[in-house]
Amino acid sequence: MLQMPAWAQELAAGEVRDLHFGEALFHFYQDDYFTSLSRLLIAREAGRIIHHKDDAELLAGGLYLQFGMHDEAERAFRQLLDESSDPALHDRVWFQLGRAHYRQGKHEAALTALERVEGHLPAYAAAEMPLLQAQGNMALGRYAAAARLLEDWQGPTDWLPYMRYNLGVALIRSGDDGRGIEQLEALGRQPARNDEDKALRDRANLALGYTWLQQSDPERALEVLQRVRLEGVSANRALLGVGWAKTALDDHAGALLPWRTLWTRDRLDGAVQESLLAVPYALARLNADSEAVSAYQNALEAFDAEIRRLDAAMSAAQAGELVDALLVADDPERARWHWQLEELPLAPESRYLHALIARHGFQEGLGHYRDLLALGRHLDAWHERLETFGHLVEAQVLAAQQRAPVVDGRLAVIDTGALVARRDALAARLDAIAEGRDVVGLASDEELEFWKLLEELEAGPALAAAPEEARERHRLLKGHLLWQMDRDYGYRLWQQQRALAELDEQLAKVEPRLQRVLEIRADRPQELEALAERIDALSPRIDLLKDRVALARTEQAGQLHAMAMTWLKEQRQRLLAYQVQAHFALATLYDRAATAAQPSPVAEPGS
Amino acid sequence: MDMKRMRMAPLLIALLCISPIAAEQSLDTRIQDLRQEILHLNRELFMLEEDLLFPANTQVAVFLSMDVGEFFALDSVELKLNDRVVTRYLYTPREVDALLRGGVQQLYLGNLRSGSHELVAVFTGKGPHDRDYRRATSLNFEKGIGAQFVELKISDRVSRQQPEFLVREWD
Repeated sequence: MLQMPAWAQELAAGEVRDLHFGEALFHFYQDDYFTSLSRLLIAREAGRIIHHKDDAELLAGGLYLQFGMHDEAERAFRQLLDESSDPALHDRVWFQLGRAHYRQGKHEAALTALERVEGHLPAYAAAEMPLLQAQGNMALGRYAAAARLLEDWQGPTDWLPYMRYNLGVALIRSGDDGRGIEQLEALGRQPARNDEDKALRDRANLALGYTWLQQSDPERALEVLQRVRLEGVSANRALLGVGWAKTALDDHAGALLPWRTLWTRDRLDGAVQESLLAVPYALARLNADSEAVSAYQNALEAFDAEIRRLDAAMSAAQAGELVDALLVADDPERARWHWQLEELPLAPESRYLHALIARHGFQEGLGHYRDLLALGRHLDAWHERLETFGHLVEAQVLAAQQRAPVVDGRLAVIDTGALVARRDALAARLDAIAEGRDVVGLASDEELEFWKLLEELEAGPALAAAPEEARERHRLLKGHLLWQMDRDYGYRLWQQQRALAELDEQLAKVEPRLQRVLEIRADRPQELEALAERIDALSPRIDLLKDRVALARTEQAGQLHAMAMTWLKEQRQRLLAYQVQAHFALATLYDRAATAAQPSPVAEPGS
Repeated sequence: MDMKRMRMAPLLIALLCISPIAAEQSLDTRIQDLRQEILHLNRELFMLEEDLLFPANTQVAVFLSMDVGEFFALDSVELKLNDRVVTRYLYTPREVDALLRGGVQQLYLGNLRSGSHELVAVFTGKGPHDRDYRRATSLNFEKGIGAQFVELKISDRVSRQQPEFLVREWD
């Protein structure tokens, strides 16, 4: 049964109307789920998501899933179902819930959730849903139901090979060999566009070949198994199958070729190990007893060597560091969801773990271990930052204390009442000038000085005693000055009134600004104290969580180690069983040689 | 037995029933709980950081978004506030892809006092016909008491077959 390729969800079709929701998407689309979820939770808490509330909940649920937090995801989805009546949203939620259950291996729950979908899914999900339902049914052994779902499937053409493979398997397992074989046959002959398609085509031909072998039709088995490429994950089992098909056709010499090809391959592979017994079996069937004996002895030596390597691997694994050695080739920046351990390091024990690592349970556990490492690093980083924050707050408290006398001194000299009184006096004076058209009241300093001089002359005895010419000159000068001030009066009055309006504007800002300064002055110590308290409260939480993460990581490593050891022991048991078979076959051959009896059948490997 | 003890008894039984279950929680469940707690903690830490370093009354955040991107392939952005370069950002293909899919990047987070300010953003990349392209856009804005959010948006102007660089304030 195959999984669909990585699923990509387009959450925000159309314009993003909340910046902070868009920011969560920015990290989500880069597979940085932890940052995305953190940003989303903060934005939601701060009330910064207004237009995308449902999308945000759906994204949060999806992110919890990606992050392996299945319970939290289910809670988020259930809440959405309770709060919204939009059928399209309900469908998306049930679909997500179905996927969540499927990933957890809760196949019944997955199918129940998917049954609630009512036909409002977007195209990508509508195409994926029947595949998910079929996989769920297959996991529960309901192959006929799975086949029905797959037969009606419609979706993107690049998913078609996966669908066809699963349909073929479902049909054969439901007993409809004819139609199942038809599907696998079609897939097995299909031109492949890329390596993924080629691997799938090999897999279909391999499944088909073994189906024909089971149905005692070695000719057909041979035909399809020979389509499998000589390199690739299906190659070894295909070569083994080709050998058995030829054996079934009594072509024992022909069987030797694919089986001997397997001898040159990695002895860890089950098919290669079986070939070590199959080759001497074929030789014995060809009555080449001495060659068969030699081949069985080679096989025994190979099994011995492999058992010694396994023992060394188990000793190395016992010494610990197994999991860390596995993660040497890991890139911590890569998101968990896409994470697969693709490049194993060359540690002696890791050579044996290919098959183990391919298993879901081990991958999942290794993923948890990797997450715990990342969370530990994350907490370490926050621990350091929090220390810096603490120093920052201390520095601010100190600075505020040092600044306080200066600020208080400055605040003490600010008298807004006096300022307002001065403004009022100015306004009253301007009103009086305007009311009496007092042109002298708006004179410039120079004009006023000149005006005063002329007035003083007029009031004193000197002017009266002066000649007529001088008095006339005084009269002219005064008249000219008055005319000049009168001419400019309108403009000057407008200027003064505008200046007063500007002053009023500034004065209106002074009071609230002063109030804010006073508030900040009064509140700042409490604010800093509150920040310090928050820092003090968070610090032990970080320490506690760091301890818990370290503990969980140790336990997870223990579980992985136990799984690895069990698997290594299973490998050893299998090799021991092969050794017994080889010894038995050898004994039979020696017996046959010693008694020079008629050729008797040699036990078939694996029987 | 007095009334108080009688009332306590069922509670103790309930606690006794609960504790073994809690102790037997699977590692998987405990890891889920840990993740949840760390997420909560993370949220509180981010909020503390914001309150401490970028308090709301001085906070200014500049975001960048894109749509389509047919006429412009983004390489970098330089952001100036009041004629001072506050950030220069070089984009990876992964980030550009995230922007094109609807993601919004927080390009800058900082502090400004209330009053008038000028923001200038210079975008560099490849324009139509794969030509080097450099364009600037600016915004004069009034910073009030609350946090100020500004969005830079790169958009395709189909009618002119040119990219368009917009800047706007968010409430």
